[in-house]
Amino acid sequence: MFTQSLKPVLLSFFTGVFNHRSIGKTMSSGSVKVSKLSIVVEALNLTKSFDGFLAVDKISFKIYEREIFGLLGPNGAGKTTTLLMLTTVIKPTSGSAKIYGYDIRNKPGKVREIVGIAFQDPKLYWVQTPWNILVWHGMVCGLSRSSARQRVEDVLKLLDMWDARRKRAHELSGGMKKRVEVAKLLIQRPRIAIFDEPTSQIDVSGKHVIWEAIRTMRDEGSTVILATNDLSEADRLSDRVCIMHRGRIVALDTPWRLKDSIVGGDILEVEVLDEAPGKMIPEIKSIENVVEVVDLKRKLKVYLNKGEETAPKIVNLLLTKGVKVSSIKMSEPSLDEVFIRYTGLSIKDAEMKLRDER
Amino acid sequence: MNVKKVWLVAERDIFNFLEYRFLLLIRWIWFIFQIFLFGLVSSRFVVIENYFNYYASGMVTLMFYITALYIGYDLIEEAEHGVIDYLLSLPFSRREFVIGRSIGGGLRASFFALPSVLFVSWLIGGLNPFYFALAIFSLLLFSFSLSGFSISLAAAIKSHDKFDILMGVIDAFMVRLSTAMYPVEAMPRFYALISSLNPLSFASDVLRWGFNFKKYLLASPATDLTVILIFFLTFNAFGSYFYERRLEGGGWT
Repeated sequence: MFTQSLKPVLLSFFTGVFNHRSIGKTMSSGSVKVSKLSIVVEALNLTKSFDGFLAVDKISFKIYEREIFGLLGPNGAGKTTTLLMLTTVIKPTSGSAKIYGYDIRNKPGKVREIVGIAFQDPKLYWVQTPWNILVWHGMVCGLSRSSARQRVEDVLKLLDMWDARRKRAHELSGGMKKRVEVAKLLIQRPRIAIFDEPTSQIDVSGKHVIWEAIRTMRDEGSTVILATNDLSEADRLSDRVCIMHRGRIVALDTPWRLKDSIVGGDILEVEVLDEAPGKMIPEIKSIENVVEVVDLKRKLKVYLNKGEETAPKIVNLLLTKGVKVSSIKMSEPSLDEVFIRYTGLSIKDAEMKLRDER
Repeated sequence: MNVKKVWLVAERDIFNFLEYRFLLLIRWIWFIFQIFLFGLVSSRFVVIENYFNYYASGMVTLMFYITALYIGYDLIEEAEHGVIDYLLSLPFSRREFVIGRSIGGGLRASFFALPSVLFVSWLIGGLNPFYFALAIFSLLLFSFSLSGFSISLAAAIKSHDKFDILMGVIDAFMVRLSTAMYPVEAMPRFYALISSLNPLSFASDVLRWGFNFKKYLLASPATDLTVILIFFLTFNAFGSYFYERRLEGGGWT
């Protein structure tokens, strides 16, 4: 009775757990759907060095229209330098990139009409107010004065900055400055919106507002490049993640594929009412993609691949064999584990190491 | 070139300037002191005829000169706050940008200094309408040139301290070796030669034509205007060059 009533609940649980993965698949580069999307950014051997220091080392990638492309890596990985090249703020030492077919070297003016950026460190001149900065920004990006004012009002209210609109930049807190920086892109709504660590210094509720705004921008037609060293942010928002380390790309794929690339990366924990029968373990192990099963008396810990397919099979097996399941917990590898896999370091350790080296 | 974009750049600099309230107030106090303290006292021992009028019109030119150079300081401060990267990412060409900034820097200096022109014209009591209009146009061009000059220098040097020191040195030469405060007739020959090549001398000169002050003039109004025009074209071209090549890639100290 218990097992029968639990079955649909468990199956819907797995459907829910892995639902985000299926979304990821529809946007992934390898799927049919993505192959129909046009390439809007194409970098080829993009390189930048500063006085002999190689900040970006021959990176090549493609970004598809209307995807959120995450650039993940520790501080010093080369993310910001890459973005500065894409926005034509700095010129590449060698290689190039095309944005909607316009080469960043030969057609920087055209590129700047397409791309907008919210910088990692807010770029606000100290005497200016958020209102002045943003209305001017809107007009520079092609809005009329009246529509710029209207849009600035909407965005400042959305970001809870309306009351601070007349304060000078030097009177704003770090979080407020960051909101103004992000507001520039929400007002501009460029075809390619680049956010460089958009939620650093922002409180939790503010982060959710910004994440939602980024998704909305994508849904309304913008392609988003999101540079971050926040793993959960990259995981939560990105359709594809490009992991950078020491100026190079070490991995590039959808978050779920990157996580699936870790052998035995998914973990299923099943708690049972009675002691777990040891005889079940070989049967569970025989299921495809199960890497390891650990018997913890009333708990089974199963290390597996392709959790979305494998976990329901395990639970089904237990239920069929009459094992009374009291709870289940599924955990995935984080992008930090992916980073470790490709670099041998966690993001924090990589950051510290890079800092020490400099 | 997109005129609307150039104007937007200029507009930003003009509105920023209005925010420097304390600085503007101090500059006006300086002007009043120069005229009514130094000008009045020095006119009592200087043998040049009507020296007060000569000096007062020179001071007006210096108001244009000093305020037009502020734009370079803005550039340096923007670099310190990282704003340069933001500006470079906007949909302008570098040329539109530097011309917009020169115009903005020049216009704001002219707006700021214009009351001093009217004040001194009232003090002196004479005006030649045609030459006065020519003088205002020339001073506007002169302000644009100085803004271009200041931008070129700031972009070339990329250092707040060095820029500050260099501006002090340039100020000493430009102002002292010009006819803003005294005519070439009162200078040693070598100084007189250099002063008669200084654009500030020509700007002071054309304004004196406008004020109908016809003593100790350096050149004809047409020559004054030509020299200022050359100055304008040269430094806007330099500004554009340095902006294009030097602003990108950081390196500001």
